[in-house]
Amino acid sequence: MKLDKNKVLVAMSGGVDSSVALAKLHEQGYTVIGITLKLWESVDPITKKRKNSNCNSIEAINGAKMVCDRLGVHHYTLDHIDSFKKNVVDDFTKQYLDGRTPNPCVRCNSYVKWGNLIEQADKFGAYYIATGHYAQIERIGTNINMKKGVDNHKDQSYMLWDINRNLLDRTLLPIGELTKEEVRGYAKNNELETSDIPDSQDLCFVMDGDYRDFLNQYMPEKMQNISNGDIKDEDGAIVGNHTGFTNYTVGQRKGLGLSFPEPRYVKKINPITNTITISKKESLYSNKCFVKNINWLIDPPCFPLSTSSKIRYNSVGANAVIEKHNDDYIIIFEEPQLAITPGQSIVFYNEDILIGGGVIEKYNE
Amino acid sequence: MIYFDSAASTPIYKEILNEMQNISLTTFGNASSIHKFGQETKAIIERARLSIANDLGCNLSEIIFTGCGSESNNIAILGILKRGDHFITSSYEHPAVLNIANSLVEKGIDVSYVKPNSAGLINPDDIKNEINSNTKLISIMYVNNELGTINPINAISKIAKENNIIFHTDAVQIIGKVKINLKNQNIDLLSLSAHKFYGPKGVGALYIKDNTNLNSTYFGGGQEKSLRPGTENVSGIHGMAAALRKSIKELDSWAETINRYEKIFIENLNKSGIKFMINGDNRLPGILNMTFPNILSSDLVMALDMEGYAISGGSACSSGSTKPPKVLKEIGMTDEMAMKSVRISFGKNLNEENIKELSNAISNIINS
Repeated sequence: MKLDKNKVLVAMSGGVDSSVALAKLHEQGYTVIGITLKLWESVDPITKKRKNSNCNSIEAINGAKMVCDRLGVHHYTLDHIDSFKKNVVDDFTKQYLDGRTPNPCVRCNSYVKWGNLIEQADKFGAYYIATGHYAQIERIGTNINMKKGVDNHKDQSYMLWDINRNLLDRTLLPIGELTKEEVRGYAKNNELETSDIPDSQDLCFVMDGDYRDFLNQYMPEKMQNISNGDIKDEDGAIVGNHTGFTNYTVGQRKGLGLSFPEPRYVKKINPITNTITISKKESLYSNKCFVKNINWLIDPPCFPLSTSSKIRYNSVGANAVIEKHNDDYIIIFEEPQLAITPGQSIVFYNEDILIGGGVIEKYNE
Repeated sequence: MIYFDSAASTPIYKEILNEMQNISLTTFGNASSIHKFGQETKAIIERARLSIANDLGCNLSEIIFTGCGSESNNIAILGILKRGDHFITSSYEHPAVLNIANSLVEKGIDVSYVKPNSAGLINPDDIKNEINSNTKLISIMYVNNELGTINPINAISKIAKENNIIFHTDAVQIIGKVKINLKNQNIDLLSLSAHKFYGPKGVGALYIKDNTNLNSTYFGGGQEKSLRPGTENVSGIHGMAAALRKSIKELDSWAETINRYEKIFIENLNKSGIKFMINGDNRLPGILNMTFPNILSSDLVMALDMEGYAISGGSACSSGSTKPPKVLKEIGMTDEMAMKSVRISFGKNLNEENIKELSNAISNIINS
C-alpha cells in the first residue's frame, strides 16, 4: 500500500498533550486517526481483579474518544499489553534485581510505542505517526533532527533517545514548539474535554506511586529472596542494615535509618554481596562513566566528541567528551557529576539537538 | 458510514421515537401517584405490558419491566439461586449471564458450564448429564450473540421441566426476530432487551411464568412486583412495546429480505474469490460470524471502519483486546482462526446496494 503523507496516526494517552497534538494536526489539514495503546492492566493483589493502570485507565481512553469524536475523526484502542510487559516491565524488574535504576519510559517509547504505531500506520496507509511529547523534529533539506521541546521545564527529548533514527522521518511532534501553558490554553480554547486533566506523574504501570510495592506484587517469589543485608561505609565497615537492596537507588539520602552528623547517601548497590555502600556527598561525585550501545540520531560521529550530556531526566546538561574504545564509550565530564546512576539513560545534545544516548553501565569511583 | 452491527444494537424506529418524545413531554407524572397525571402514566405502562404479553403469548402478570437485558438476567438468576443450589449454564453465554455465574461460587452455589459443540449449539443431552439433586436452575441463551446459532430451547426446557428445574433463557438476540409464543412452553424465565429490536436503549423486560417465585435483588418502592423497584421509564417502556409490536408485524417480510441479503452477500464474496468460512449451524439469518483466514479481525474491522463500513470483531463488549473471543474458543476454534473472525449483522437500515458495497469493500481490503 502506498503511504499517504497527509495521513497521521496520533498516539493518544487521553491526556491534554496528545489531545492537542491530534487537534493541531487536524487543524493543519492532516487526516488524523487517534490511537490509544492499551499497555497495562494492574491486578489488585487482594481481590485479584484487573484494574486500570494510570496511563490507560477507562477514563483516559474515554477522554481520547471524546476529543476524537469532537473533531469527527476515528479512534481505536489497540492492545499491546504483551509487548509492554515483555519489553518494558520485565526489563524494569530485572534492572532492579541487578541493583540498577531503569528508565522504563525510554524503552516504552522505542520498543513499544514507535514500533507498534509505525506497524499500524503501515496498515492504515499513513506515512506519519505523532505523539504529544515535548520535543521537536526539525527538517532541513534531507536532514532530520530531533530537538528539545521549546518548554524547558517540560522537554521530554531525554525519553526519546532510543528511537530508531530511520523513524524520525515518519514522526511528527506537533506540541514541541509549545509551552505547557500554551497547550492547556489551546485545549481550553478549542473546548477539548481533556483540557483540565492533571499531568501524569508516576510510572504508568506502578499504582500508588511506589515501585517497591510493584516489585513485590509482580514477582513475589523473586522478591522473597531479597533479604536484609549490610550497609557499609566506603572502608567496608558495617554501619547499618538495609531492608533489601531493591529498595534503594544510587544517590538516595532519605530512609537509610542511619545517624551520622553529616548526611549519607547510597553510593553503590551490590546485589551479589547484598550490600549497600554509603558515602558522604562529596564522594558521590564522579567525572567519568561507561556506556554501551549508544543509539545515534545523527550520522555516526567522530571521537572524541564534545557534547552536553544529561544523566537524568530533570538534570541540566553538563559538558562532556565522549571517547570510544572498541564497543565501549567513556564519558568524561568537565565538572564532576553527582550520583551517576547505573541503569539510567545518559543523553547527548549538541545545543538543542538530541544527537544520541545510551544506558549508564557504571561510573568511575 | 453504513452500519452492519445490528446484533450489537439497532437504530430506533423513527415513528416510535416520536411517540416516546411526546410521552416524555406530556406524560411526566409518576405512575404511583393517585392524581390524573399519575393515572395517565400508569395507563401507558400497563398498555405496554398488555401489548408485550399479547405479542409473547403470555399473561399480563408474567411481564416485568427492567433497565436492560443484563438486569433481567440478574433479577432472574439471582432471584432463584440460594446457597447450596446447583446451577447449569453454558460456557459461551454472553457476559451478562457468564459473569453472574462466575460470581455465584462465592455465594456457595455450584455451577456447571456446558460446552457448545463445534457447530455452536448446546446438546440437550449434555445438560441432562449435569443435572443432580441440587440443580435448581438452568440458563441457556436462545441465540448466541456472536454466532447467531439458535439453541434447541424446546428440548432443553423440556428436560428442565421433567426434572422439576426452573429454566431461564437470555433471549435478547431472538425476540422481535422470530415469533416466540410462550404459551404451553417450558420456559420459566426469559430476558429481552428493546434496543435489539429497534426499540430504545435502557429498557428491557423479564418474563416470569406465573407461580415462579423470585427473591428480590433490589429494594425500593415496590414497582414491578418489588423485583425492579424505581420510578418507571415510561417512554422507554412504551417504546419497547411499540417496537416489539412493529417488529413482529414485519417478521415475515423482513425474514424474506434478510435471507435475500445473506444470499447476495455470500454469492458476492464467493465471486470475488476470497477465502472465508461461516461459523455455526442452525443460524438466525442476519447474524454472520465469518472467518477470513487472510486478515486479522481487528485489522479488517478498522480498515472497513475507515472506509465507512461498521462491522464487529467479535462482540462489542470484548473489543480492544488481543485475546481471541471466548465464544469461538469454546466451539473449538484455534486461537489463530478465532482472531481472524468477525461478526457481520444485517438490520433494517440496509438495502441491497449496501450489502454489495460491503462485500466489495471486504474483498478489496483482503486482496489489496
